Amino acid sequence: MAMFPVQGFLEGDFVVVLALVDDTDPMTVVAEKIAYHSAGKRVAVQDRPMKVKREGEILPDDSTLSGIGAMPLDVLEVVYA
Amino acid sequence: MPHLPRSEWYDLTRDMNWDLTYVTEDEAFPPALSNSFGVPAEDWWTWDEPYKIAYTEYVHNQSGKDAGLFSVNNVLSRTSIFDNLDPGWKAAILAHYGAIAVAEYQASIGESRMARFGRAAAWRNMATYGTLDEMRHGQLQTYFPYQALAKEPRLDWAHKAYHTNEWGIIAARHVFDDMFTANDAVSTAIQLTFTFETGFTNLQFLGMAADAMKVGDFDFGALISSIQTDEARHAQQGEPTIKVLMKAGKTDVAQNLLDKMFWRAWKLFSLLTGLSMDYYTPIEHRTHSFKEFMEEFINKQFIDQFRDFGLEKPWYWDQLLNEMNWVHHAYHIGVYFWRPTVWWNPVAGTGPEERAWLEEKYPGWNDSFGKYWDVMGDNVRAGHPELTLPETFPMVCNSCQVPVCTPAGYAAGYLDSPLPLQLMHGGRRYVFCSEPCKWVFEQTPEQFAGHLSIIDRLLGGIIQPPSIEGALAYMGLSPEECGVDGDDYAWALAPARLTV
Repeated sequence: MAMFPVQGFLEGDFVVVLALVDDTDPMTVVAEKIAYHSAGKRVAVQDRPMKVKREGEILPDDSTLSGIGAMPLDVLEVVYA
Repeated sequence: MPHLPRSEWYDLTRDMNWDLTYVTEDEAFPPALSNSFGVPAEDWWTWDEPYKIAYTEYVHNQSGKDAGLFSVNNVLSRTSIFDNLDPGWKAAILAHYGAIAVAEYQASIGESRMARFGRAAAWRNMATYGTLDEMRHGQLQTYFPYQALAKEPRLDWAHKAYHTNEWGIIAARHVFDDMFTANDAVSTAIQLTFTFETGFTNLQFLGMAADAMKVGDFDFGALISSIQTDEARHAQQGEPTIKVLMKAGKTDVAQNLLDKMFWRAWKLFSLLTGLSMDYYTPIEHRTHSFKEFMEEFINKQFIDQFRDFGLEKPWYWDQLLNEMNWVHHAYHIGVYFWRPTVWWNPVAGTGPEERAWLEEKYPGWNDSFGKYWDVMGDNVRAGHPELTLPETFPMVCNSCQVPVCTPAGYAAGYLDSPLPLQLMHGGRRYVFCSEPCKWVFEQTPEQFAGHLSIIDRLLGGIIQPPSIEGALAYMGLSPEECGVDGDDYAWALAPARLTV
């Protein structure tokens, strides 16, 4: 378990933020940690599940950053399913 | 003693060029300080300034300007004009003083480098005046805010800002070091005097001078109008420098220098002037939008000058036109949301009337940018203004050092992708907000690769503790200096909401 900085943003937001996640967090948690900085603050909350997208691919909900070989500061886009 | 007309002695006394025999040309004009770009020494001697002035005339003119200006300041500083200024205008001038005053002193370093290493005596003569001009501007723009310190203590950021690592100042320092503080003489003439001063400072100084008079800030209006008269003179060092390069077949050199700095200047001005014109200036005193100013002063008048010299529009012209629609709106949201990280009190400028104005000037603004303010306004009205404050940091561009707002451009329909641009160089990942910013970096990676952005410093352990509080302290912002909402959330609490 290790702190893992990523570049992240929630779909519809205006800026890329620095988000700190854990390399063993499942993508459902990664999505929440990134969206925390936007949803209900600058982007209207949507009652839909969120997914994490990396390099154009939606990542499985139970995958982790260490498991997929992600690098620090990879860009993760959180999108609504 | 007979008085000869200037025209009868000027050329003789000015042209102090000679062949070097005791030292090589590179010893007298080291390329790092004065890159000739392969143009022979004698070709530079054809350099001819369009605006001729003698030292006695210069001193006489400057003395008169200062006498008038300090009289205005002496009278107006005793009035309550500053106290009664609109909060948005106060934000604009606090931002201006912090970002510009000490940069003017730094510009005198660039001018004095040209005064020594300019490649023609005529040029060195003109740059000597430029050095004195920039010293004057630095002094004026620290003295005027100093006069009003009792009314607004954060006006000391006119002097303090460049001695901090505040993020906006890191951005300004990054471009100004490249443009003049650490640039060679020939490149400075193209990049500072032609690209920046002829083009962009017109926008900042003439535009803000007009706005200042309308809002009743006669002190500031007189100040920057006076400064602009100097700029208009010494900015003309660029034109003859371009002509020499072009005549020597170095069009590509001039074009490249111009292209790099035009984009860099755009990024800084969209941050500084874009916010001032479209959000901070009270709506009743606005005559043009930032985009309209850009279209008139930069895209039309300045580009006409490019073409007069035989230069072309920069290769990224379409991207510039694209960004003019959206990027400063994104920056404004960022500065407002991260307001504790700036030394002024940002106003939202998004009450019902302002939103109607923005929609008129930028059709679609309500759908593309108003939606962010809707959410923030809802939080304020629900009694949760803390939700309009940051708990993390934006990523910043490794070129312009400004937050990466590509998602805003995508969400507003102006970009094909919300993703930032990236580059692996020397085993390090670099992040960019736009293709031209990445291109600027790639032109001279050895120049930029070692620089650490504010986010690099946070992740590298330089900022301790690595938190908002730690970052504010690192940026030199005490709790009393951190920006707060400039009009105490009046924008969100206005009785009538715009319906579209």
